[in-house]
Amino acid sequence: MAEALAKSSFTGTRHAPAKTFDLFPRPTTKTGLIGWLTTVDHKKIGMLYGGFAIMFFLIGGIEALMIRTQLIVPNNHFVSAQLYNELFTMHGTTMIFLAVMPLNAAFFNLLVPIQIGARDVAFPRLNTFSLWVWVVGAILLNIGWLSHFVPAWKFGGAPSMGWFGYAPLTSRAFTPQLSTDLWVFGLQVLGVSSIVASLNFIVTIINMRAPGLTMMRLPVFTWMALVTSFLLILALPAIAIALLEVMFDRNFGTNFFEVSGGGQPILWQHLFWVFGHPEVYILILPPMGYVSEILPTFARKPLFGYPIVVFSGVAIGFIGFGVWSHHMFTTGMGTIATAAFSIATMAIAVPTGVKIFNWIGTLWGGRIVTRVPMMFALGFIWMFMMGGMSGIMHAAAPADAQQQDSYFVIAHFHYVLIGGSTFGLLAAIHFWFPKFFGRMVPELWGKVSFWLIFVGFNCTFFPMHFLGLNGMPRRTWTYDSNMGWNAGNLFASCGAYLLGIGIFTYFAVLVYSFFKGKKCGNDPWDGRTLEWSIPSPPPEHNFASIPKVHARDAFWYEKTNKEEIAKEKAELIKDEESHGGIHMPDQSWYPFFSAVGLLIGTYNMAQIHLPVMFGGKEILSSHMALAITGGVILLLSCYLWALEGPAGYHIHLDADGNPTDSHGGHY
Amino acid sequence: MTRLRSEHRKVFRFATALSAVVSLALLSGCKLSEVFNLSGPQSTMLTAGPVAKSQWDLFMVTVYVTTFIFVVVGGVLAYAQIKFRAKSEADEHAEPPPQGHGNPLIEIGLIAASVGLLVIIAIPTLRDIWYTHDVPEAEKANAMDVTVTGYQWWFKFEYPTEMIKLPNNGGEAPLVTGNELVVPANVPIRVQLRTVDVIHSFWIPKLAGKVDMIPNRANFLWFKADKPGYYYGQCAEYCGESHAIMRFRVIALSASEYVKWLNNQKQPAKSVSTDDVAANEMPHAQFASLKLEDGSALSGSPEFDANPLEGWKKQQLPEAGEKADQIAAGRKLFQEKTCYSCHTIRGHEGIGVAGPDLTHVGARSTIAAGVLENTHEHMHAWIKDPSHFKPGNKMFFGGYNTLEGDVWKPNPKLQLNEQEIDALVTYLHSLK
Repeated sequence: MAEALAKSSFTGTRHAPAKTFDLFPRPTTKTGLIGWLTTVDHKKIGMLYGGFAIMFFLIGGIEALMIRTQLIVPNNHFVSAQLYNELFTMHGTTMIFLAVMPLNAAFFNLLVPIQIGARDVAFPRLNTFSLWVWVVGAILLNIGWLSHFVPAWKFGGAPSMGWFGYAPLTSRAFTPQLSTDLWVFGLQVLGVSSIVASLNFIVTIINMRAPGLTMMRLPVFTWMALVTSFLLILALPAIAIALLEVMFDRNFGTNFFEVSGGGQPILWQHLFWVFGHPEVYILILPPMGYVSEILPTFARKPLFGYPIVVFSGVAIGFIGFGVWSHHMFTTGMGTIATAAFSIATMAIAVPTGVKIFNWIGTLWGGRIVTRVPMMFALGFIWMFMMGGMSGIMHAAAPADAQQQDSYFVIAHFHYVLIGGSTFGLLAAIHFWFPKFFGRMVPELWGKVSFWLIFVGFNCTFFPMHFLGLNGMPRRTWTYDSNMGWNAGNLFASCGAYLLGIGIFTYFAVLVYSFFKGKKCGNDPWDGRTLEWSIPSPPPEHNFASIPKVHARDAFWYEKTNKEEIAKEKAELIKDEESHGGIHMPDQSWYPFFSAVGLLIGTYNMAQIHLPVMFGGKEILSSHMALAITGGVILLLSCYLWALEGPAGYHIHLDADGNPTDSHGGHY
Repeated sequence: MTRLRSEHRKVFRFATALSAVVSLALLSGCKLSEVFNLSGPQSTMLTAGPVAKSQWDLFMVTVYVTTFIFVVVGGVLAYAQIKFRAKSEADEHAEPPPQGHGNPLIEIGLIAASVGLLVIIAIPTLRDIWYTHDVPEAEKANAMDVTVTGYQWWFKFEYPTEMIKLPNNGGEAPLVTGNELVVPANVPIRVQLRTVDVIHSFWIPKLAGKVDMIPNRANFLWFKADKPGYYYGQCAEYCGESHAIMRFRVIALSASEYVKWLNNQKQPAKSVSTDDVAANEMPHAQFASLKLEDGSALSGSPEFDANPLEGWKKQQLPEAGEKADQIAAGRKLFQEKTCYSCHTIRGHEGIGVAGPDLTHVGARSTIAAGVLENTHEHMHAWIKDPSHFKPGNKMFFGGYNTLEGDVWKPNPKLQLNEQEIDALVTYLHSLK
């Protein structure tokens, strides 16, 4: 250590050309607005993803409560049919693309580099780009709501053709509203964000693992992040093509889905579900990863059957691409196709079941400590099992002909996506909150929120199985009072309010804990993976020295072999200093600027044929010029981004691991 | 690790108790049996034909198998959760348990068991995929064809084998009705599914699972009603603003009653001459604005719902004491207000195909695509303000109102006063 200190002013050799072209110099401030807009720190990016996602999660929740309020009694007029359709469209779109996916992205960002013993992702600026591009998509999807508050902005309300946007309802003849165009562009932009981020994580996980961290030693969550990233880059092109075709149909008179021109609306369904079914696994695999981390921690023993859990995750990823048409059992595919997809869907239940067996195996013989994250994780297993059972029921295609598009399906996928994905995420937030904010969440209030959510959730969605079997179709604005659905709907709506109170409690407790929670150390849960080996909250550089990994539960091994590790650490720190200290990436303006360019470009492209109005007067005959301006800003930013060079700086640490000279080698 | 402090435990128990009480209150507040009600008119359990029955039976196979899995796996999980719980603070801080990593034999055994259980579901699934797909060969000769076409937001039914002579030009066309499909019981019905605009889905839960009506695609389904009855159906694919209220009925009749109905339908619209003006005692309806008591149904009164098939049959009979002058006035209005440009009344006026055929509208048990029971009050309220019942419908947007620029403006030619609506209703109700 002494030697390392002596060398602490050593800055090493430069890795990048000294001269680069900086139109906007790279910011060095770490705090304030500029710090957050230009950050390349995977932890800050993760926080931003998480913050935005929770905001949209709450918005989507309010939409859900409005839906349940409309349905609380038959023939209700709480909202109009049009507004109801906007609400369920945006509830689905928001929860999938703007809440669960970015919350998972938040955890990818927060955890993956740390779990693999890295200091950042492979391409830090690209990571920033993904974040702001995602924000652009979120704005485009939601901007239509403004029409309800400012009638002069003629977006035609929020999109109202369902999150699945089945052609030909998306045709201009049936939804002439501008918000449909913005929805098309919004999803496209979100796809760009996800593909860029996925490539980044694939490269990071494959190339940046710490020495000794072989693939079969990767934490299960990181494995699931890898599988999810592959699913995203393979699934998203399908919907990108479909959205492009809708965009052409709406704006340039093509006939991909236009019935009058011989288009085939069924084509949209195939393209959409080739994306849409892997998407289901994109939503559920990361939460399976959280649970696979949380259960061993609180059962205090390693994951049962690690290789099989990993393999089944990969198998789900593969088979997940071969079952899309089970969303289309009622489209008249014919007997052979229906049978094939029916059997494939049953097959995918096997690797999913295997995971549940292994989680139970993990608990078996353990010493289960029932903390709040563990309660959500156990809740996940129970509720996911429920959703899995109704999933098997859907695989029987003839039975599905009765359930398809009924409330039974709503019950099924909310058991999977709330009981599954969301419970997993709520477990993860509670579990890693101390790591990233350095404060504990009070157990008592965590448990209260768990029980409110658990009871509320089941009261809301369990009766929906029966509503569906009793013939209530989904996406219906109202229903008549002689259909036998009154009590079920009243009950579900009351449950939804309870669930709402639970979710509110959950996040209120987090806000309280952020300010007032009890401070905690590195390892409040007796964790098993590398993130628990570093301070809470982690320093900018994550690790004082890149660790060497000796076993699957890397930190558990460190804790059980303290002497060996202490010696090794000292060596590693020395090594690192001799290489010039800790190399960190520089911040940059260009990812943010290119996202701004993309926003201007897509917003105007969506209304390309409309004249530009200002103060009631027409100032331009079309939005073409503005769309091109946006495109130019995007391209120019990317070009200047390339010119500014990789850059970076070095951090040098003192004996306690505090930085002594964080900008010593800035170039 | 932080552990719940004892004073917190009390609060915690209180919170658990509170949520239990709240949920119990919820349970008792709305009768539990009602929440899990499966006896509605669109129940998939109370099946009335072989297709729906095979679908429900298959569903029950999946229920038995998955319940078995859930009980076994859940039982083991619950046992593990209780048995291996850290029981005290000391327990939590004790040495960790043995760090076992798994057991491949158990895994393989469980995988084999799951596959075995899925095969139990797979076999009847495959059988029923073929059975529900099309009318069985043995019954094909006996099957009857109908064509249903989805419109935003109503259904048109055609009987391609029942050709009728058109009164005006001597041509022939299939019999057309709207929103109520009348079929003979015990005859396999093969339904051709078509749409003129977006995707709809044809679903009569008690008779058969749904199949979508997709543009540029020739889908079909089949069903058979075991016995005469009145069955509820509904569009099951989101199709725009009023998707929720795009409903229909299937009325299955005995062979003789069906023939009687068919013969009446084939007749052109009925004319009531002024000579028929008798001393009629028909009460003049109180056409106040439609106010419903909370919880009452729009689509059927309690009397109607008690025996809908009888209700439908009553609807076939002419109303007592029809007023010929009113009817004549109504028929004149039907022309004057250009209703005929969208609706056909075969034998009277009408060339329109954009809206439902009204030749025998008086004999239907519902109007507005199964949304309103076909009473005088309802039809009056519907004609007066259709958008109150069916937002976005084309009678209101395109008929009563026309688009100027991007604003809907009332069409002055199409405004009706109360008396005019009364006359129209009387006329339409005379068309049995």
